[in-house]
Amino acid sequence: MRERSYQALSLMAIAAIAVGFTVATTVPPERVQGEFAKIMFVHVPSAWLAFLAFGVTMIGGAAWLIRKTPIWDRVAAASAEVGVFYTALALMTGMIWGYPVWGTFWDWSDARMMSTAIMFFVYVGYLALRRSIPDPETRARRSAILGIVAFVQVPLVYFSVTLFRTLHQGTTVVRPDAPIDPEFLRALMINLAAFTVVYAAFMTWRTRLARLEDELEETEAVADFEIAGSGITAPNLEEAPDHV
Amino acid sequence: MPVLRGVDLRIDPGEVVGIIGPNGSGKSTLLRILATLLKPSVGQAEVLGARIGSSGILAARKRIALLGHHPGLWGELTLIENLTFVARLAGAGTERADLALELVGLGGAKQRRADHSSHGMQRRVEFARVLLTQPDLLLLDEAHAGLDKAAQALVEAAVGDVKKRGGGAVLVSHEPDRMLPLVNVTYQLEGGTLLGRKEMR
Amino acid sequence: MRVGGFWQQAKEIARKDLLVEGRAGEALYITIPFGAVALMLIPLAIGTDRPLLAQVGPGMFLAVSLLFGMLVAFRQTAADTPPQQELLTLLGTDPAAKFVGRAATSTLLLVVFEIVLVPVTILLYNPGRIPGWPWLILVLAMLASGLALVGTLAGSVTAGLRTRNTLTPLLVAPLSMPLLLGSAQVVEALKQEQSILLWITLLATMNLALAVIGVVTARPLEESSR
Repeated sequence: MRERSYQALSLMAIAAIAVGFTVATTVPPERVQGEFAKIMFVHVPSAWLAFLAFGVTMIGGAAWLIRKTPIWDRVAAASAEVGVFYTALALMTGMIWGYPVWGTFWDWSDARMMSTAIMFFVYVGYLALRRSIPDPETRARRSAILGIVAFVQVPLVYFSVTLFRTLHQGTTVVRPDAPIDPEFLRALMINLAAFTVVYAAFMTWRTRLARLEDELEETEAVADFEIAGSGITAPNLEEAPDHV
Repeated sequence: MPVLRGVDLRIDPGEVVGIIGPNGSGKSTLLRILATLLKPSVGQAEVLGARIGSSGILAARKRIALLGHHPGLWGELTLIENLTFVARLAGAGTERADLALELVGLGGAKQRRADHSSHGMQRRVEFARVLLTQPDLLLLDEAHAGLDKAAQALVEAAVGDVKKRGGGAVLVSHEPDRMLPLVNVTYQLEGGTLLGRKEMR
Repeated sequence: MRVGGFWQQAKEIARKDLLVEGRAGEALYITIPFGAVALMLIPLAIGTDRPLLAQVGPGMFLAVSLLFGMLVAFRQTAADTPPQQELLTLLGTDPAAKFVGRAATSTLLLVVFEIVLVPVTILLYNPGRIPGWPWLILVLAMLASGLALVGTLAGSVTAGLRTRNTLTPLLVAPLSMPLLLGSAQVVEALKQEQSILLWITLLATMNLALAVIGVVTARPLEESSR
């Protein structure tokens, strides 16, 4: 991609955020929760995109295993990173919203929140694994497999936590289940679109950065290769300048 | 980033090939490709009738033995346990395991744990394994390094044995003196390229 | 690969791993005492209120089993060094057979781990008699095998890495959450004399999923080490 296109994408992302923010601030407050509910404009898109991002990580990993082309590994890695960012954002906004509404930052009765937190740690582990493997091919292969295992686990985690909650309704906090205001929904959708544009921008930048890192690594490897196998002259210690 | 380039090598049955090259010239990489442990990024390699990377390689693998710098032994197991474990996995009989250890001069140390044995002894166990599993392709990486005079005869015996059975052997080394008497053909490997095929006697 | 060959290989690997563990004693002499100490630390941290300890006892046992049991599953002595791994590859060892054999040994060791820790928990926490407790034997067995599977899987993903000892727990802990939840809820359900079928099904599903994933990913993973 040309430098121009990267700049255009950056501008689009900034514009999308601006539009999303404007819509979020101008929409009338929600009937039950008032202005508090507007944190949903960040929370819901973040959570959705986190799932999307981890799905892309799995697809990237699977594609790498089949095609063995570096681009797929870069896509998987970039998406996991962006996904962890969005997951953290979803968790934080969830907790900030939860405090005034539920009276507590962390609500153990919310299955989605618990599974999101577990997902967060799984992918923090994924990124830690990537950092730990120096060889690009080994890194791509092992993280591809972990990316697939992790995503297969997500529904199991979600299912088990939901099961856990539905059987223990006693502690559930009363939550507003009023039908959603159409104007509010529209604003949510606009923000979802905006966050998706930002995701696309993050992905493009991050995969480019990964490609540049790989190229740098390769250049260094070539330089190393010149050293290996080349002759060494015995250092002449007799003639070394005496600094004592 | 290729380590090897323009390598064109053919090993015929009964042939013993010596590859000489300095450190970092790609000797070990070449050997690992022949051992099916690495897949060439470009080009093809065929070992014992199976293309590397194809599914047929699983069967071919069992007929290859690679002796590298570090013996593949489990420290907690005794020498005889190491040998019988490997023999059972390979589907070879274990009845001759005792005999194989005796043949490599370890008859008195069978019950010694591998991590209590010297490097030289561990290397001898590897030769006992070769005697037991009878590979058709023997790959030796710096086989003579770290072996005493007596043990060096084992290299000769192992190479002679595989040759007699019509198999092939490849020896790589950066110091060819002790390897040369054993080989039919030598190549020079430099900067990842094979140069100068030389027939010996 | 023939099926007979597969199980034969798995058996050989399991036997070798057991022999190595028997001599090295990494699980027996290091991890099990470590788990027992952890069970002692908890009452000191949360207070020695007897009814409270009786109530949290089973849960603490499960948490300790998970956190310390995973150390059994990816113990260092079960990890192959590169020369050992190359040797196994050249012997034609099926990576999936290796996974099965290794997970089987770890399951066995984890069962031993639990057998030691159960009396320790009873002595220290005095949780009282749980109705229908024989079901817990099944639960502990499934917890052991599930943890062995996820630990073996994570252990092969992190094989040979410098950060292996710290990284593997990070991978195992969140992935094994359904195992913990399933086991803990069986205890809860038994106490309240409710049906445990759902939780047993969850544990079985987890085991099955992990076994399938482990066997399917074993071969592509193995290529990576070389």
